[in-house]
Amino acid sequence: MSSTEMRTTPLPRPAPAPVQRPGVVGETTTRIDGGPKVKGEFEYSSDLWADGMLWGATLRSPHPHATIWSIDISRALALPGVYAVLTHEDVPGRKVYGMEIPDQPVLAWERARYQGEAIALVAADHPETARRACDAIDVAYEVLEPLSDPERAMAADAPKLHLSGNVLRHITLRHGDQAATADVVVTGEYEVGSQDQAFLGPESGLAVPDGDGGVDLYIATQWLHVDRDQLAESLGLSPEQVRLTMAGVGGAFGGREDLSMQIHACMLALHTDRPVKIVYNREESFFGHVHRHPCRMHYEHGATRDGELVYVKARIVLDGGAYASSSTAVCSNAACFACGPYNVPSATVDCSVVYTNNPPCGAMRGFGAVQVAFGHESQMDKLAAALGIDPVELRIKNALAPGHRLPTGQVVREPAPVAELLERLRAMPLPPDASPGPRDLRELPGGVSNTTHGEDVRRGIGYGVGFKNVGFSEGFDDYATARVALSLDGDGDPLVSVHTAAAEVGQGVVTVQAQIARTELQVERVAVLTADTQVGSAGSSSASRQTYMTGGAVKMACEAVRERLLQRVADHAGLDPFDLSLAGGAVIDSRGETVATLAEALVSAPIEETVEFHHAETYPLDENGQGDAHLQLAFSAHRAVADVDTRLGLVRVVELATTQEVGKALNPQALDGQIDGGSAQGLGLALLEEIQIRDSQVLNASFTDYLLPTILDMPPVKKQVLEHPDPDAPYGLKGVGEPPNISTPPAVVAALRSACSRELARIPVRPEQLAGIDEPRRSRPPAPGSRGPAGARPTRS
Amino acid sequence: MPGYNRAELSAELTVVPSWEGKQSPRAQTEAARRAASDSGLAHESGPGSTILTGGRSEVLEAVRKVIEASLDAGAHIVQIKVEAEGDARRFERS
Repeated sequence: MSSTEMRTTPLPRPAPAPVQRPGVVGETTTRIDGGPKVKGEFEYSSDLWADGMLWGATLRSPHPHATIWSIDISRALALPGVYAVLTHEDVPGRKVYGMEIPDQPVLAWERARYQGEAIALVAADHPETARRACDAIDVAYEVLEPLSDPERAMAADAPKLHLSGNVLRHITLRHGDQAATADVVVTGEYEVGSQDQAFLGPESGLAVPDGDGGVDLYIATQWLHVDRDQLAESLGLSPEQVRLTMAGVGGAFGGREDLSMQIHACMLALHTDRPVKIVYNREESFFGHVHRHPCRMHYEHGATRDGELVYVKARIVLDGGAYASSSTAVCSNAACFACGPYNVPSATVDCSVVYTNNPPCGAMRGFGAVQVAFGHESQMDKLAAALGIDPVELRIKNALAPGHRLPTGQVVREPAPVAELLERLRAMPLPPDASPGPRDLRELPGGVSNTTHGEDVRRGIGYGVGFKNVGFSEGFDDYATARVALSLDGDGDPLVSVHTAAAEVGQGVVTVQAQIARTELQVERVAVLTADTQVGSAGSSSASRQTYMTGGAVKMACEAVRERLLQRVADHAGLDPFDLSLAGGAVIDSRGETVATLAEALVSAPIEETVEFHHAETYPLDENGQGDAHLQLAFSAHRAVADVDTRLGLVRVVELATTQEVGKALNPQALDGQIDGGSAQGLGLALLEEIQIRDSQVLNASFTDYLLPTILDMPPVKKQVLEHPDPDAPYGLKGVGEPPNISTPPAVVAALRSACSRELARIPVRPEQLAGIDEPRRSRPPAPGSRGPAGARPTRS
Repeated sequence: MPGYNRAELSAELTVVPSWEGKQSPRAQTEAARRAASDSGLAHESGPGSTILTGGRSEVLEAVRKVIEASLDAGAHIVQIKVEAEGDARRFERS
């Protein structure tokens, strides 16, 4: 089929960029995608369609660890309606991929290392035909014992899952006096389960061959350019032959930072010369993306009798699962932030991330800081109890402040108002105590299930504070590109067009780009073009970085456009450009007189500028974990008030209150959304959300069994934001997306501890822990259809 | 290679086993895998292929050892593809 024939199939071009009339920076601006999403009119990547398209499906390993002896595709290929069945032999380029380490097979060849690993692909004329074809592929497995325990994986005699061994990264951090001793010492063991990003829009995309050997991919992702480059490597194409365009994203939270179906869809499309769409279902989605790292922590805190921290020791083990993804960077964050936002004179941190046969883990909101926040905040509460000091007072006494050094040796810069965050949070009014007498069931743990009328219900209050880096760290040259054009539209009215590759994943980056353009160029109408790889990289929508980085790039590009515009008008009018400025759609002089309207200034030609915005340099950690590794630190604090039915272990979080340092709120409504969402995701981790894994097998790959908080579980969130500007950041802003997710879980668990007086060393907290009836975990799940393990069978007495 | 925080250099090696070698074809492949594994830089990248990633000097040193191990085992052909990290500009300063 010739390229001309191929191009008779129209590409699913996105609609023209809608023109926004945003507020300026600092004003609440309704998101342009908000209305369509609420009304069900938004087009997600799973809604994509092209004439003549085929449906792709993926055969996955049912075994977490197995040798693959053979793959027979003959029965599948013979099915009517099947256009292609592909295995590793059909990968045109590199057979492995990975954001940091190329260790993950595009399609497995000799070995499956986790349950759900992709083995083969099918393209068919109907999704059900594709599914049946997957069932018809015969794979001969030899099932191997899975390596499930990360501690076991680190043992010298453990079987090696990868040639380089099982320890993916180990960070040794040594700071201060390693022989320091303290008056009061508390220790603790803590564990965090694996949280899923649980985005509602499953992985999906549409690949369209260009008829000339290349491919266009419409995709819901977080980082177009790293997707593109990895695709090009595995497809054996040049990056120019692989073009990506953002499709509608139904949530991401880190889970789309790595590849899922991208290479597969493109392989099928190039093989069949037909557009191919892949959409995972909910169960497949659980196997199709990386998760938050499960984590075990041992902590020791030493302090003086009056509550000054002397040292912190921590040993942290992160379960990376079968492949690397972004685990090495998560490991770094866990090590760097292990001591919390406190002034810690001496620190001894050992942090490892290891390969196992569990599901691969990678980026998720909070990125290593979430796990250790549960550890260091639990320790601060324990230390406060040992010292007989109020937990908030202890935190304030040790609060990190500008001029202090992190355990990495990096000096903390303004603003870092940890003490102020805590003081303001403490001063926020508490919700009223439960009134005496009969209570509304909806306000009690268990709700309308009518499990209690208030008896055995205790109220607890807890605090948590957390912090993490904004932007990429450890020497990575983090940058974003923006192309801004100022022109006249068909009616002769000024219009700003903004083109970047920033992935809108629900955080509002499209809206904030428009706000920045309007602020800088004083033009009411702004069109933010669909993100794609036709412009330079914007980096990832992760690390709370897009407003800082792509926002910074848009600001810089607008400044360049403005400079050229003023120069043009100055040249024409014989004036000094430094005497001119923009206001109200016109170029004015220093007296406020209009020199030229924008229509006049732009009639000869539009002005376009493309810039790259790079953040300040960061540096790798040395062998002792020392180095100026991070750009900006973001802080938040939470207070939780919770009612606990101490007999049944049921919980109702009555209220969350939070304070957060944001530098500058660019869009207050969007900021509210980030804080609400991050708090809800943190509450979910504290109470409900865990991928249940036994012997490396996932037991709850559905939203029936993976429990998410609903509106009924989510209390009101009281907020106060602090706006101390960061002098080095655009508009003084700080990244805001992740901190609420970090400080919520320890606050919720502290409230539960306060209510039920139990240690609660693991999240999510289970009812049996709260009721004090938790049993040792079973080593194996009961066989389906069995009556459960013998020891757990009910007996008649 | 693209860069999130990628290594400076990657080298993919594929041993084409010789039926006339001192050792069996499988032993030749295994010799290469063992040498790659000993480097601490290696991952499998396909049937009979390994990829070494890391700093420039350590990768090149490991490549030599893998080739020598393969030749010693009787292999006659080792295909190599070496790629420098292109996108991560931090290496330009070093």
